[in-house]
Amino acid sequence: MTTTLRRRELLLAAIAASTTGAYAQADAPVRIGFSMARTGIMAVATPPQQTTYDLWREQVNAAGGLDVGGKKRRVEFVSYDDQSKPEQAVRIYEKLITDDKVDLLLAPWGTPFHIAIAPVLEKYKFPVVGNTAASVALRQIKPGYLWFPTSAIPDRIGVELTAMMKAANVKSAAIVSNVLPFSKEIKNYLEPELKKAGIELKHTSEYPPDVKDMTATLTQVKQANVDAVIALAYPGDAILYAKQAKELGLTAPFQFIAIGPTAAFFAKAVGASSAEGVVTIAHWTPRPDWKGSQAFYDAYSKKYGEAPDYLDAALPWMSLEILQSAVARAGLDKEKIREIISKDTFETINGKVRFEGVQNVITPTAFVQMQKGKLQLVWPKSIATGAYEPKKGW
Amino acid sequence: MSSIVDTLLSGQLLFAALVTGSLYALVALGLNLVYGTLRMLNVAHGDVVMLGAYGAYWAFSVGGISPIVAAPAVAALGALAGLAVHRGLVRRLFATAGAGSTRLEGNSLLLFFGLSIILQNAAALAFTPNARGLAYWTEVYHLGNVAMTGNRIAALVIAGATCIAVAALLGRSLLGLSMRAVIEKREAATIVGIDVDRVQAISFALGFATAALAGALVSMLEQISPFTGFPFTIAAFIVIILGGLGNLFAGLGAALLLGALETYGVALTSANMRSVLLYGAFVAALLLFPKGLFARRARAA
Repeated sequence: MTTTLRRRELLLAAIAASTTGAYAQADAPVRIGFSMARTGIMAVATPPQQTTYDLWREQVNAAGGLDVGGKKRRVEFVSYDDQSKPEQAVRIYEKLITDDKVDLLLAPWGTPFHIAIAPVLEKYKFPVVGNTAASVALRQIKPGYLWFPTSAIPDRIGVELTAMMKAANVKSAAIVSNVLPFSKEIKNYLEPELKKAGIELKHTSEYPPDVKDMTATLTQVKQANVDAVIALAYPGDAILYAKQAKELGLTAPFQFIAIGPTAAFFAKAVGASSAEGVVTIAHWTPRPDWKGSQAFYDAYSKKYGEAPDYLDAALPWMSLEILQSAVARAGLDKEKIREIISKDTFETINGKVRFEGVQNVITPTAFVQMQKGKLQLVWPKSIATGAYEPKKGW
Repeated sequence: MSSIVDTLLSGQLLFAALVTGSLYALVALGLNLVYGTLRMLNVAHGDVVMLGAYGAYWAFSVGGISPIVAAPAVAALGALAGLAVHRGLVRRLFATAGAGSTRLEGNSLLLFFGLSIILQNAAALAFTPNARGLAYWTEVYHLGNVAMTGNRIAALVIAGATCIAVAALLGRSLLGLSMRAVIEKREAATIVGIDVDRVQAISFALGFATAALAGALVSMLEQISPFTGFPFTIAAFIVIILGGLGNLFAGLGAALLLGALETYGVALTSANMRSVLLYGAFVAALLLFPKGLFARRARAA
């Protein structure tokens, strides 16, 4: 009697275990969860992240699966639409952990979403390598379960952009800024740096995200007759800015557009000659000494018919490489994964990455410039793949 | 200070105001036609603009067809879509709610709101939510000290000419006469033998066609995504409130006024004031001309 009972208990336990996945068999897929803004105001920005995740899953599965502590297991995604609402992302990550019981988690898109889910990860001790987030506010997140590979943090951008402008012999500048958080943050850190460096700020103005015409603003910029125009724009208004800068004939040789030019659609939307010479934020480009960077560029271009976004596709790929490397050694043990990510140095398509606290301390804050239709790292010199050239018209 | 005066008088702002105003006029025209003849506010109107923009975008990037050449075809597709919506959705709504009932207005608002969400998300599924844009006719021309990009000149000319053509059609033809009759007194129009259903179907076709045409023009000027339609709905809504709901000709003037208000207002204050100016004009119009929306609605009921 007791033996049969025990046998039944064992059976039940086995069933329970297999459904929760705690003792999943080697051939059961690794389930990886994330939330994604597929609708709402952020939906326009998320595709590079989703396409990069999809490419990674395809490659990993084609290679026989994800190396989980020595065993190869197929990868399966569990994802939900967060409707561009951070509070919805919080609920989704809680559900992914407690209800779907996923094995691993990937990051959502954007700074507010990373910040929003940090307490959930802390609560359930679930490590996530972040990617598409950049803000000084990230440093306020309690270190432990969330890391940020990006080096495009606004205070460092302020310092480095000023240094680059100085090196390019810029004496005067104009800033036009979208009022959204990231661009305003850059503006707040850039203005005092320019002043310190003795670069005269002859015009500064802000505009709303739903701007439809910039004639009035850019006419004033033109009258200011400056060496550098710093357009702290988002992708949508970056297009409008470039088109109208051409119409009005802004001749400043140093043309910086904050977000947009790293995406393949930018050059298509404004025309190759307008995109040529534009400087923007990115710390990645394919280069021989960054292992896998060219392979990633080629695979992405082949699958999607356009180049990967130098920020929003490169960063997710880096985060996947870091997670993949940790899981290969730690298996699915969250604490071990956490320990490896917070201590080790990782080889990525962006070179070596090591975290101190929540931040990547190796990758330098950098800028790229469109040269002959390709983005080249032009700042800082230590990782440059090309030399900065003044922009010659639109 | 003198530099601001120079800016205001330069003609550069006038050109910008005319481009903005003519596009607003074209988008608002269609919204007003449908509202006038059916007393239904098509909240999905801006999404038709978005679809028109995608039509021109795909024609350009896949077929290499100029957006200006594609525009008439996009408008024709828009007209077909308008007929389909009228036949498939609006007639049914009339059948279930009964023409002239107060429920109709509420139901139609829900219907178009739903349609708007479906169109946005269907576009996101079909085209991905990626922002897109195209570069066509980007040469810059100079007239005195005014610089104008070819595609903006084309947008201004086509939008302006279409508005004038539609206005002429409505002002002179028998169809226009019957349309205006339906707009002003629907019941009376029925009594004198006007086929109201046909007039409404044509309004839908014309309204969607002009919206899709506006989209084809917009595709040359700014980025497009599945969610770029809604701001056009809002702008068109402000225009028809300013001009008077159902009053097509006043709407054209109001659109130019709004374009000027936006462009010169921003030049005098700051770009951050754009929304304040737009909605300020909207609220002022409602306060100063309260007979607009609500008086008509009471009469229709």
